[in-house]
Amino acid sequence: MNSAGPPNSPDPKRFQVSKATLWFDRLMGVGIRFGGIGVILAVFGIFFFIGREVLPLFGSAEVERAGDVSAETRPAVLGIDEWGELPFFYDGTDRVVFVPVAGGERVEIPLTGLEGAEVTAVSYDAVHRRVALGLSDGRVGSFVVEYERNYEEGSNEELIPKLVEEPWFPVTTGEGPVTQVSYGDSGGARVIAVKRGEGEVSKAAILRLGMKKSLIGKGKLSLTGETDVTGELGAEAKILRASANGEMVLIAKSNGEVAYFLADSDGVSKRQTFMPFDGAVPVQLDFLFGGVSIILTGPGGAQEQWSLFRLDEKAERLFGETKVFPALGEGPVTFAASQRNRTFLTGAGKNLSLRHSTSGVVRWEGEADFVPAAVVIDGKGRHFLAASAEGEAKRFAIDDHHPEAGWNAFFGKVWYEGGPEPVYQWQSTGGTDDFEPKLSLMPLIFGSLKGTLYAMMFSVPIALLAALFSAAFLPPDVKRVLKPTMEIMSSLPSVVLGFLAGLWLAPILESRVPSVLMMILALPTTALVVGYGWARLPIALRNRLGGGREWMLVVPFLVVAGMIGWALGPVIESWFFIYQDPATGKQIADFKMWWPQATGSSFEQRNSMVLGFMMGFAVIPVIFTIAEDALSNVPKSLTAAASALGATRWQVVWTVMLPVASSGIFSALMIGFGRAVGETMIMVMATGNTPVTEWNLFNGMRTLSANIAVELPEAPVGSTHYRTLFLGAVVLFAMTFVMNTIAELLRQRLREKNKLV
Amino acid sequence: MKAEPNSSRADFIEVDHFNFHYGPKQALFDVHMQIPENRVTAFIGPSGCGKSTLLRNLNRMNDLIDGVHHEGDIRIGGRSLYDPTVEVISLRKRVGMVFQKYNPFAKSIYENVIFSLRVAGRSKKSELDETVERALRASALWDEVKDRLHDSAFGLSGGQQQRLCIARAIANQPEILLMDEPCAALDPLATLRIEELILELKSQFTIVIVTHNMEQATRCSDRTAFLYMGRLIEYGETMQIFENPKHAETEAYITGRFS
Repeated sequence: MNSAGPPNSPDPKRFQVSKATLWFDRLMGVGIRFGGIGVILAVFGIFFFIGREVLPLFGSAEVERAGDVSAETRPAVLGIDEWGELPFFYDGTDRVVFVPVAGGERVEIPLTGLEGAEVTAVSYDAVHRRVALGLSDGRVGSFVVEYERNYEEGSNEELIPKLVEEPWFPVTTGEGPVTQVSYGDSGGARVIAVKRGEGEVSKAAILRLGMKKSLIGKGKLSLTGETDVTGELGAEAKILRASANGEMVLIAKSNGEVAYFLADSDGVSKRQTFMPFDGAVPVQLDFLFGGVSIILTGPGGAQEQWSLFRLDEKAERLFGETKVFPALGEGPVTFAASQRNRTFLTGAGKNLSLRHSTSGVVRWEGEADFVPAAVVIDGKGRHFLAASAEGEAKRFAIDDHHPEAGWNAFFGKVWYEGGPEPVYQWQSTGGTDDFEPKLSLMPLIFGSLKGTLYAMMFSVPIALLAALFSAAFLPPDVKRVLKPTMEIMSSLPSVVLGFLAGLWLAPILESRVPSVLMMILALPTTALVVGYGWARLPIALRNRLGGGREWMLVVPFLVVAGMIGWALGPVIESWFFIYQDPATGKQIADFKMWWPQATGSSFEQRNSMVLGFMMGFAVIPVIFTIAEDALSNVPKSLTAAASALGATRWQVVWTVMLPVASSGIFSALMIGFGRAVGETMIMVMATGNTPVTEWNLFNGMRTLSANIAVELPEAPVGSTHYRTLFLGAVVLFAMTFVMNTIAELLRQRLREKNKLV
Repeated sequence: MKAEPNSSRADFIEVDHFNFHYGPKQALFDVHMQIPENRVTAFIGPSGCGKSTLLRNLNRMNDLIDGVHHEGDIRIGGRSLYDPTVEVISLRKRVGMVFQKYNPFAKSIYENVIFSLRVAGRSKKSELDETVERALRASALWDEVKDRLHDSAFGLSGGQQQRLCIARAIANQPEILLMDEPCAALDPLATLRIEELILELKSQFTIVIVTHNMEQATRCSDRTAFLYMGRLIEYGETMQIFENPKHAETEAYITGRFS
């Protein structure tokens, strides 16, 4: 294309812009717009993704009708399989009725061991799927319902139920029919709580069964002891409950008290008597999943949770009231605990509600068409069944993936099982299935703030003073070396820094804390003393040596002071940090042992001091570079004017450079803060990752970022744990966003105040 | 170190065979001149001739630049600026300076004027108030700003800001006032005000002014030095330089044949 005409020709084309230029211009315009919109979309995409992961945490449970079952038999015991497909109804006769939910033939399996006696007491242990029976002739026994899936071809993979009956044992205490029975099963042994007779003449006993293990085949159960506890109770037993693990028996009495018995191989002993409802007799008492907490319902539907905990480390584990739930209302009380988590289904009259014990909230509330006589939750916690006294049952599907989540669980104090008081605690996973997740984000937020604080405490003074020194005092040739060096420092991979901190620095500092303290004292003092001495030197000498190179004079002093400080550490330690062994009375000069004794806080090898030092490497270069630029960009005309008016270099810095550069320095601090808050690898490797909530310099912390890095690989996608980690990311983002917004507003004000022309 | 009043020494500032280098580049060649006390001396010459360099050496402002060095000497009142016992800070208190582009600090008018007192550690309210009024009156700004002394200096017009810078420079009563093209960034009216001001100030201060404006040099200076390519070509009474230049380069420059 010949768009440009020959020079000086009258051709008007020479004023035209070439088409290639215009095309390129348009192309770049489109490209840049595309890129800009892309960035915005990407950011919103991230928000969308994180929001989608986090929002389900705050939803409530949804419950839907999922089929009817009719057994036409009274559900004295209502039980169900793992998947909620084949419930069974037991009415206290000699047969168990299984009715498939999906429709199909009902199955009746007879019981063989009754020997003509009448069943006078039943109870159900959903953990082992065991039905405990008490007979009119004073015997107790049980059977376990087992399900097996038929994987044979053409069988539709239906469930095949089976009853495993256990031997019967006669109760010698008391007379008459067994009126209450409850089984606990620790695998090798059984604990059976029994009541015989009714009214004042009734007796209560605790039977213990042991299992003699033979080399081949199953062990044989035999009675190892029977304890009559009637006398110890002092009142009629109303509700007897053995914990599923067979360690505890709780007995609610007619005087409103609840007695707690501990059963072990040595026997049965009463540990505690407590009064949950001011003398009123509880109408319901059941263990929750995990066997550490019980739910009690009193008259009028008042519902409470009591848990076992130690008031202090040496005390016994006893029950104490930890939560009060909303009252149920009037009517017969139903109860069923989930075998998955701490959800339970309860209700009075027609009402039903799903509640969660950790968060202490009602997840769902609804009403049945009838007054349920029995309710049960399936093994996976996906369905529950409510059956009327006539044997008509409704099946409901539960959609509640995150019952343990919620505002209070994340940001409030929660009274967890086993703890003496409500706390902020993070412990997302445990060793056992019945572990109660502790999902408070507060220790992590605290950890992030603590880590940031200590990192900034170390970095900010050094970085800002270095920036000032470099911008205002250092001769340009030194500066040309210094700035790139600092920038290289900021490009050090944080995993390397973390590695150095955890494996190299931490062990050194662990034994040399007093040395570090001495150095922290010695270095600035020496610099000040040398500076003072310098100012006292005759002007002629200063003019000869000075000219921006004074720092060379200071360096040897600092090196010597540092070495002296380091060497002085053990001396100081032997003077002031003396640990007295409480056992032998021996005195050892050791800061590491002295600190916990003197302050009561712990001393960890990987602590905030190590973190502060190493974070310095990450944060100092960031702050230094930006602050130095801000200071160097102060117009030369201003510094020259101040110098020409007789200001010293320091006065130039203080009165002219700092005010003008303040907004830039502020930005530097904020970017350093952002780096510190978001820093992950150093935090993971140098802090020990314990989610503590104390400001102690000599222990670590767990930050939100480190928490995500450590736990995300082991969190199942879509689980509460997984989503909570994302919530941690949201909190981290919110923290930096709020801080940055405030900082930006302040910065704008600073800039407005100090703006130039 | 105080100058004796009422005596106008002809050799108040002595530039003695002065060479000056910015690193490898030599900017001044063997400049030798004497600047009289309580007179206005103008440095003229084409861009890059070294007039600003010479001016900035009179209070050692060039020291702030990296890699500079010099030969020869400059003496004020008979004392060398490069004497090892000279404290640069106190030298700059004797030799005030006004820059080409007005450069008030991001402070109030009041704080701008008393900046030199503040950095000298003087904070007596009455003294400061008195200084502000005196300096602002001397720089012919008092009547315009007396009601808004505590407003930002940036609220003033360009000419006012430059006069504020002059007030700032004279607040601590230096002996010498260096002006580096003080009117370069101003309109003709504001320039006129500054020139009037220079004439008023010369009874109190020894003024050295760098200017590109021939008319300005003729209007306000007593003596004029013409520098060219780092050398002092001609130096004498202003009337003589402009009416009867001895050197061909001087004549060529002042008649506008090169600039």
